[in-house]
Amino acid sequence: MFRFLQKLRRRRAMYQSIEDELAFHREMAASHDNLIPLGNTAVIAEHGYALWRFNFLENLWRDLVYAARGLRRSPLLVLAALVSLGLGVGVNATMFSLGMELLFSQPSVRDAGSVVAIRFSGNSHSPHQVLEFLASSGLLADVVGENEEVISNYNDGTETRPVFSVFTTKNYFTALGIPVLYGRGIAPDDPDEVAVLSYSFWRQHFGGDPSVVGRTLNLDGRMCTVVGILPEHHRTLIGFGYSPEIYMPRYLDSTILAIYGRLKPGMSIPAVRAGLIAVGKRMDQALPVDYKYEEGLQVSPVAGYARLKYESDTLAIAVFFALLLAVTGLVLLIACVNVASLLLARASERRREIAIRIAIGASRGRLLQQLLADSLLLSLAGACAGLALAEISAQMLARIHLPVPIPIRLQISPDWRLAIYGAFLAVLSMLACGLLPAWQAMKESIAHNLHREKKMRLRRALVAVEVAISVVVLTMGFLFLRNLMHASALSPGFDVVHTIRANVNLPPSGYTTNVQKYAYFDRVVSSLAALPGVESAAAARVMPFNGGTHFMVDLTFPDNGQKQGARFDWNAVTPGFFQTMSIPMLQGRTFAAVDRGEHVVVVNSEFVRQYLGGRQPLGTVFLWGRYDKTPYRIVGVAAVTKTMTIGEEPKPQIYEPLDQIDNDRREIEFVMRSAIPPGLQLEPVRRVLHRIEPMAGAEVHTMYSSIGLAFLPSQVGALLMGSTGVLGLLLASIGLYGVMAFSVARRTREIGVRVAIGAGRADVVRLLLGDSARVTLAGIAAGLLTALLVTKPLAMFLVPGLTPGDPLNFLVVAVAMFATALAATGNPILRALKIDPASALRED
Amino acid sequence: MGKAAQPALLQGTLDLLILHALQRGAMHGYAIAQTIHLLSEEVLKVEEGSLYPALWRLELDGAISAKSGLSENNRKAKFYQITKHGQKLLADQEATWERLSTAVSRVLAG
Repeated sequence: MFRFLQKLRRRRAMYQSIEDELAFHREMAASHDNLIPLGNTAVIAEHGYALWRFNFLENLWRDLVYAARGLRRSPLLVLAALVSLGLGVGVNATMFSLGMELLFSQPSVRDAGSVVAIRFSGNSHSPHQVLEFLASSGLLADVVGENEEVISNYNDGTETRPVFSVFTTKNYFTALGIPVLYGRGIAPDDPDEVAVLSYSFWRQHFGGDPSVVGRTLNLDGRMCTVVGILPEHHRTLIGFGYSPEIYMPRYLDSTILAIYGRLKPGMSIPAVRAGLIAVGKRMDQALPVDYKYEEGLQVSPVAGYARLKYESDTLAIAVFFALLLAVTGLVLLIACVNVASLLLARASERRREIAIRIAIGASRGRLLQQLLADSLLLSLAGACAGLALAEISAQMLARIHLPVPIPIRLQISPDWRLAIYGAFLAVLSMLACGLLPAWQAMKESIAHNLHREKKMRLRRALVAVEVAISVVVLTMGFLFLRNLMHASALSPGFDVVHTIRANVNLPPSGYTTNVQKYAYFDRVVSSLAALPGVESAAAARVMPFNGGTHFMVDLTFPDNGQKQGARFDWNAVTPGFFQTMSIPMLQGRTFAAVDRGEHVVVVNSEFVRQYLGGRQPLGTVFLWGRYDKTPYRIVGVAAVTKTMTIGEEPKPQIYEPLDQIDNDRREIEFVMRSAIPPGLQLEPVRRVLHRIEPMAGAEVHTMYSSIGLAFLPSQVGALLMGSTGVLGLLLASIGLYGVMAFSVARRTREIGVRVAIGAGRADVVRLLLGDSARVTLAGIAAGLLTALLVTKPLAMFLVPGLTPGDPLNFLVVAVAMFATALAATGNPILRALKIDPASALRED
Repeated sequence: MGKAAQPALLQGTLDLLILHALQRGAMHGYAIAQTIHLLSEEVLKVEEGSLYPALWRLELDGAISAKSGLSENNRKAKFYQITKHGQKLLADQEATWERLSTAVSRVLAG
C-alpha cells in the first residue's frame, strides 16, 4: 500500500532522475579514473522504470491500444463482432430490463419497503368499514384503500368516454407519500369533488398545460376540481405497468377497496400478520359477515424481492422471464462463438508475432493478457452497442400500445442494475470469445506445425457447438410460434368476425333500479337491431375474454335431493345473445317472454356433462346453493365457448336472462352481428348510443380487435421466443459461413492440386459440402438431444394439443438448420470453383 | 513484477551493505559504491547495474529517502539518506547476516 502511494506521489520526478543519475555515475567513475562501468544503461533504466510503474494497468492499457491498432486493420472482423455481440447483448439487456420492470419495479410511494397489501379472508377488496376499523385499531402507521378498476365517464363538453380511474381513500396521497408533478395530491380535508390526473391523460387531453390544475372536469356528471398531475414515471401499487388515468376520492358508500397499510418502524411481516389476525377476530364481532376475516388472511409487501415470495402469480412471470433470459443468454453464446471463431482465424495470422514475443521472453500470463485484450475491446464495444440497442427498443416498447383493454404503460429506463448486467455480459463474452483463441494461439506458437490440423478441427467443433445451441433456441422459438398458430386456429366458440362489441358505462343518476336499467338495455338493443346492416343485437353482463364472473356453489337437485359441488362461469344475457354471437343452441331454446315469473337458465354442454349426472337437461330443476330455495329450470343447452383464454379447457357455464337478475352494475355490454364489414358499423353504433344516453361512456370495437387479450400471452411469448430463435439462426449461419469461407481459403492449394490432377467441379462441391454437412449434422444431433431435455418444462405455457416433444417440431428445426447451413456454404463453394489450379499452385 | 535473476542472498546482502554505508550520512550512488568498495578493502565491487535498481527499490520501500544536492565537484546529484524504517531494516538484516555467517563459518569449521 505504501508503495502504491509512493508511486503515485513521486512517479514523475523519479522517472526524470533515473537517467540523470546514471549519467552522473558514469561521469564520476570516469573522473576518478577507475571502474568505467560496462553495463547497459538502457537496461538499468528499464529496471528502474519497471519498479515505478503500475505494471498491470499500464500493460493493460498498452495492450488495449495495441489491440485497437490491430483491429483497425480488420474492419470486417470488428463489424461482424460488433453486430453479433451487439445483437446478443441488446436482446439480453432488453429482456433483463423488461423483467426487472415487471417484477421488481418500485411503486411511486415514499419508503415502498414499509407498505404492505392486506387481504382479509383472501378478499382482494373490502368495504370501507373494514378499513376504518383497521385504522382505528392503531396496528399500522397508516391504512389506505383504493379501488383501481373503476371506469368513470369523462365528458369533455362534446363527448362522453369511459376512463380508467382509481377511487381512493382521502389519505391515500399523503399517507403513501406519492410525488406529483404539478399541484398536490388529494388531501384528507378535501371535498369529494377533486381529482388527480395521470401524466398521459393530461398530455392527451390538455396538451400538457400546467394551468389545468384548479380547473374542473365533468366526471360521472360531477364537477371535480383538478388538484394535481402525476409525474410521467408514476408507478402504481399494483405494478405491471398498469396506468389508470384519474385518481379521485371514493364518493360512493358501496365502493369496495383494496387495503394497503404502512408498517410502523421496525415492524416485521409476521408481527403485523399476528396483529391483523387479532384485529380480524374483533371484526368478526363488530362487523359480522358470513365468513371469518382472519381466515385466509394475506399480507404481502408491495415492492422488491419480498413481493415475489408472497405472490404466486408473480412467480410464474418470474419463471417465464428466467426462461427468456436463459434463451437470450444462449443467443449471446452463439454470438460469442462467432467472434471466437473469427479471433481464432486471426490468431493464426499472428502466429509469427507471438512466436517472437515468446522468444524475447514474454511470459505466458503476459501473452494471454495481450491476446485477451482483443476480445476485451470487442466485447466492451459490443456491450455498448447492445445497451444502446436495448435503450432504443425500450423506447419503442414504451410507445407500443398493447392490445389489451386496460391501460398498460411499461416504463423501462436504464438503471444501475442494467449497467451491472451489461458489464457482466461484457466480461462473460470477453471470456467466451477470447479464452479459447488466446490459448490456442499460444499453444500453436510453441510448436506451430503440429497443431495446424488440430486448429481447423477446433473451429469445426466451435461451429458444431454453435449449430447445437441454435437448434435449442430455434426449437423453443418454433414451439412458441406453433403455439401462436394453434391458438389462432382454435375457435373461441362464437363469431368474432362479423360481430361488434360496445361496452357502455351508465351514469349513476337515473339508473338506480333494475327497471330503469332494463328499459335502457331494451331500447338500445332494439335501436341497434334497427340499424341498416345489423342482423341482430343483444346485451350481456360480461363479454367473453374481457373479465368474467365465476361461481363455486353447491347445486341441489330436488328430484333426488342430491347435492353437487359445482364451479362455473356465469353470464346474464338478453334472448338474442346466442343468435347474435352465433353460439349454437344444442337443445331447447333461448329465453322467452313466457318464462317471466319463473327462474330459467341456459347451460352449456360442459355443464350438462359435469354436473347433471346423466339427467335429461331440458326441464331439469336445481336449487342454487344450499339455502336458496328458488328453483332454476334449464330451458336450453348451448355449445361451449371459451371464456378467458383461447387455449383453456372447456368450462361449465350458466346463462341467466338479464331481466331476471338483480343488476347492481352500471356497466353493460352490447353485441351486434353485422352483415356488412363490422368496421363500417362502429360510427353508426356510437351515434345510437350517444343519442339514447349522452352521459354514458361507450367503447365500441369490432369483436376481433377487442378480444386481443386472449391471444396476448402466446403472442408475446411467440414474438419474443420466435425472434430470439431467428436471431440465433442468423448468427449461427454467419458463423458457419465464416468457417467455410476460411476453410476454402486455407485449402486453395489443395483444391488447386485436386483440380489439376483431374477433379471435376462436382468433386470439389462434394468435398466442401461433405465438410459442412458433417459439422452441421453433428451440431444438429447434439442440439436436438439437448432441446429434447430443456423444452420439457415449457409445457405449462402451451395450448392443449401441443407438446414440447412433438417430433414435427424437431424435424422442422433440423431441416431449417441444415438448409441454412448449406446456404451459408454456397458462397465459399462458388469461390472454390473459381480456383485456378495454375495460380493456386504458384501461391506460397 | 520485475524478474530479478540474482540469488536472494546476494540481493539481500547488497541491501544490507547499502544501508550500512548510508549510516555514515547522506551520499550519492557513486559514493555508496565507493564506500562499499573501500570498506571491503577493495574486495567487493558494486556494479551500477545492481546498485541503482537496489537503491530505487529501497527508496520505494521507504528504507531510504532521496533528495537532490550538489556533489563535491559541484554537480547536481541525488543523495540518499537512511530513514527510521531503514534503520530498523538494517538492524534486522544485520542480525540475520550475523546468524547466517556464524552458521556458515561453523559448518566450514566443522
